[in-house]
Amino acid sequence: MQLTKSQIRKRKIKRFFFGSVDSSGIISKLFLYIILIGISFIFLYPVLKMLITSFMSLEDLIDPTVNWVPSSVMLENYVKAAKVLKFKDALWDSIVVSLVPTVLSVISSALIGYGFSQFNFPGKKIWFAAVVLVFLVPTILLSIPTYVLYNNLGLLKSLKAYMYPAMVGFGLRQPVFIFIFYQFFNGIPNELSEAAEVDGANAFQTFIKIAVPLAIPAFIICTLYSFVWYWNETNLALSYFQGEYTTLQIAVSQFENMYRELFPGGNVGMDSASQAFNEGVLFAGTMLSILPLLVLYAFTQRWFVESADRAGIAGN
Amino acid sequence: MNDNNKKPTLIQEPPKTVLGKIKDFLFKYLGINFISKKFRKLPKRTRKAITGYIFIFPFIIGFFLFGLRPIFNSIRMSLADFAGSKVVGDQTKFIIEGFGFTQFKNIFVNNDKHVEAIISVFGELMIVVPLVLVFSLILALLVNKKLKGIKVFRMIFFIPVILLSGNLISYFQNYNLLDLPGLRGGTMQEIVEFYIPGNFSNIIIQAFDKVVLILWLGGVQTLIFLAGLQKTDKLMYEAAAIDGATTWEMFWKITFPSLIPLMMINIVYTTVIYASLGNPLITAISQATIAADYGRDYASALAWILFGIEIVVIGIYLLVLYFANKRYE
Repeated sequence: MQLTKSQIRKRKIKRFFFGSVDSSGIISKLFLYIILIGISFIFLYPVLKMLITSFMSLEDLIDPTVNWVPSSVMLENYVKAAKVLKFKDALWDSIVVSLVPTVLSVISSALIGYGFSQFNFPGKKIWFAAVVLVFLVPTILLSIPTYVLYNNLGLLKSLKAYMYPAMVGFGLRQPVFIFIFYQFFNGIPNELSEAAEVDGANAFQTFIKIAVPLAIPAFIICTLYSFVWYWNETNLALSYFQGEYTTLQIAVSQFENMYRELFPGGNVGMDSASQAFNEGVLFAGTMLSILPLLVLYAFTQRWFVESADRAGIAGN
Repeated sequence: MNDNNKKPTLIQEPPKTVLGKIKDFLFKYLGINFISKKFRKLPKRTRKAITGYIFIFPFIIGFFLFGLRPIFNSIRMSLADFAGSKVVGDQTKFIIEGFGFTQFKNIFVNNDKHVEAIISVFGELMIVVPLVLVFSLILALLVNKKLKGIKVFRMIFFIPVILLSGNLISYFQNYNLLDLPGLRGGTMQEIVEFYIPGNFSNIIIQAFDKVVLILWLGGVQTLIFLAGLQKTDKLMYEAAAIDGATTWEMFWKITFPSLIPLMMINIVYTTVIYASLGNPLITAISQATIAADYGRDYASALAWILFGIEIVVIGIYLLVLYFANKRYE
């Protein structure tokens, strides 16, 4: 069938607006962008609001006409918040408390995941079920007896309270990482490890020389997630470290009290009103506590976002 | 099965270094050579099983050390008449007295407030889990589109993955940062209340109130779905398109069935995260732990109920998915 020129033009216009089988038209694209921007706003709104409020002076906070644009940018809030948080010390503590257990947890998860994926042994299903059970049991359920146990083992008030469990598969949400490694190692073709075995390598040499290099993406992803989760953990850190380490999150959770200790003038008279505790300072403190994470995210978001499929979370 | 021993070694041994010699010496006199010789003589299956156990050995230690004992203690505490700690020297000793369902009776008979918390957590979980699933699937489908600038949107959409913590969420909630601006008390509420009668409109408005929280809870789940979507076979879609299937049909016939296993993972994940991330029951438990008139025994009983709720919710939705899956086979 021969199409006339006008018919072809009509089809082109139609395709431009409504799309065809393999590309969407401008209307649906516009629609998609509106939805995407709307949802982005929902995600950004709390963070943005926090950021903007953190720049506000007390007058701006009280003034109902000031909603989004502060009359002046109060960097003083951040100076105060950093002082209250003891930012440098807290940042260092946070990094130590997140990084050390993360490394241990990732190593032990890799070993355990490799064991589950490459070998058949009696009782394998039971042990795997145990891993799932550990994930399912709410932390709060075990927090009381665990606290007593750590106390009796002498793990409290030191990093050991995080390190020892992480070494043996009981780190923070570690079953997730065991599962990721399990899936990942499952994707390694059997031929490779069999070839290594024929060449006389034992299981551990095969693991280190063949499996680990192939699983680098899984290592990166698990490290990032574990780091972030340890960073965000407050209650456990608070009860285990008991002041030995004051991470940023712990400092933020005690922000109001610390502030009142440091700037006691706020409640007395009007002239010291600018010293009073207010949302601006609190949000400045909260922003400071999540800022390192946002920086980390900016550099590593590729790993968070794009290699989810490479980590084999989705299975095969 | 002994063929391993007879194999000629083709690889030439490199010359021994000092470290190598030390290693050889240690291996010889610590009996490692002997063990490994014995080990090689075992049939392949046994060898594999033993190596497997060696690899998962850390977890086994951990399970006995950090898993089983606390779980057992927690069960014991929740079934005790009294459980409290006493400091003797530098050791904290537990005193556990009595055995029975006293604590559970206490909860259900004497504490309306906690029963209410239990019911509300159960109800919230039943609503939140499917909503998180649906929203994260929608987000994953959106982010999977090939559009200009989609990377920027992806970056924004996954911010919750790094920021989600009980602390921050409670800050957001305390300062009303998770409310959609202009929903409460705005025209939207009036419209909903005008068209939908009574309690029903209340439920809808509460669900809308939770939308932001639900979106925030769904970060990792969206990632998991996205991973699944990127793995599905593109040829299937092309074939379906040639056969004249609409996008809607393709979604239900191709995409949805392929995502069912991931949905199971996500159901479990959502339930666990929600149950551990600040809900009325968690607050009640942590308050009861410190409170003089409740104590740890009571708190443990509450915590076991929370665990029970988790299991029931996961069970219900996994069953639903199981039957949904059956329809496709």
